[in-house]
Amino acid sequence: MSTVELNELSVRAGSVPLISDVTLNVEAGTWCTIVGPNGAGKTTLVETIAGLRRPSHGSVMIAGERVGSMSERERALRVALVTQHPIVPSGMSVRDYVALGRTAYHGLLRPPSADDRQAVENVLNRLALDEYAHRDVVTLSGGERQRMVLARALAQATMVMVLDEPITGLDLRHQITMLELLQKEVHECGLTVIATLHDLTLAGQFADRLVLLDHGRLVLDGPSGEVVRSKELAECYGMKLRVVDVDGADVVIPVRH
Amino acid sequence: MTPTQSSIIWQFRAPRMVLGLLAGAMLAVAGGTYQGVFRNPLADPYLLGVAAGAGLGATVAIVDVGGALTTPSWTPLLAFGGAMIAVIVTWAIGGRGLRSSTSTLILAGVAVASLFTSAQTFLQQQSSTNSLARVYIWLLGSLASASWSSVTLVLPYVVVCVAICVAAGRALDVMSVGEDESRSLGLPVRRVRFVVIAASSLGTAAIVSAVGLIGFVGIIVPHIVRLLVGTSYRRILPISVVFGAAFLVFADTIARTVMAPSELPLGVVTAIVGAPVFVIILSLRRQMAT
Repeated sequence: MSTVELNELSVRAGSVPLISDVTLNVEAGTWCTIVGPNGAGKTTLVETIAGLRRPSHGSVMIAGERVGSMSERERALRVALVTQHPIVPSGMSVRDYVALGRTAYHGLLRPPSADDRQAVENVLNRLALDEYAHRDVVTLSGGERQRMVLARALAQATMVMVLDEPITGLDLRHQITMLELLQKEVHECGLTVIATLHDLTLAGQFADRLVLLDHGRLVLDGPSGEVVRSKELAECYGMKLRVVDVDGADVVIPVRH
Repeated sequence: MTPTQSSIIWQFRAPRMVLGLLAGAMLAVAGGTYQGVFRNPLADPYLLGVAAGAGLGATVAIVDVGGALTTPSWTPLLAFGGAMIAVIVTWAIGGRGLRSSTSTLILAGVAVASLFTSAQTFLQQQSSTNSLARVYIWLLGSLASASWSSVTLVLPYVVVCVAICVAAGRALDVMSVGEDESRSLGLPVRRVRFVVIAASSLGTAAIVSAVGLIGFVGIIVPHIVRLLVGTSYRRILPISVVFGAAFLVFADTIARTVMAPSELPLGVVTAIVGAPVFVIILSLRRQMAT
């Protein structure tokens, strides 16, 4: 059974269509990356899956349940979100920030339980954030900060995680580290990942499957190797793309005319 | 102690102190709550029009347009009603919308406040010098008219509203990551925002109706507390209750004694005492940080 199902999903902002008639099924424990040019509707799609936007038509289902009819708390127990520009509240410690991921478990009036605290420590440990745990969140570097945001999402212990451009602004090393951490969660814990990514090379190397979006419509959906070589991908970006095999990995190179 | 002294203490000083504690606690916790829910350090309890609404209500009562209202007993009632109407109008204009961002609410508050204030100015301009002075005294806030009956009138509002605000500390900490992210963490943002704004506005309206517009407590006390204990609203809000109560009673003691037998307006004292304290703590914190 698919974990995430989008059925004829359309999203509008007023009268402007942002997403039109997207149908997509993502299997449990797989990584699906959404690619497409700026303005294709990637962020809108991700926000709708996370329940932040309401579909104008169609539905998003997670494990057979409609996201739109869940309460915030029910939703937070099923899908975690990493936004493109997470707000980092100064004065909060890294541990407290990661612990925000447990809000849906202990509720708003009770303190975190022993289980919640244990879950936070586990995640801090898994992402090698122990030594930063007591630091103020604003003192972290970009790479550490992004790892901390991922830690908060992992502390939610959901079956689905959606990420909007999770490696923007990171250096090469940190980009790979971040994606490898995520891949480990997919392989070892059966996490279902839906991410947007601009870097087509990294998108192809890390996802099981690529979905190409343009003007709010699903253009192509398939295994990474096929999508990066497709003529549709080049057409959407309006340029020539070359795919080079480097030690078994696809590298996508834009070519100027 | 002579019977006269004990009567002064029990009839005047004691209710005055209790009302001061209640007012300080409520205004400080409401200010801290507003700052959290709007994620705006300049927010104070009067942000959504409470002050302007109460001001208009009180002015109507004092100026007594139709001559039908027997002042001063109408003053707190109309001040409270005016405050609530202003907040409800603000909420009706700015609280809806697709994603109901808080800046719409703040702007609606600004618009409603200027509308109510201009109505109040008009009334004042039409009124006699005598009632003008009384309106002015009311606007500056005072605990001088405190009595046990005014204490029992505001007590239930303050107890319930302070309790709700303090209990919201954890929710406000989650909200510090913004609306979208806190929703994705499981926070019913709109419901929390409504409850918290309703509680702080109701409590503030009750206090304002009893003591007039005491400024500065709601904005300065939560900031002083924040400088001392950090940014978590789970700590800021309960400590603001204590600091606010203590601060206002202290300010009132100054207001009462410095120019005895005449009294200084309480709102003036809170600013004169509060501003330097804030600056001192701010510079101490800077020194500690460097």
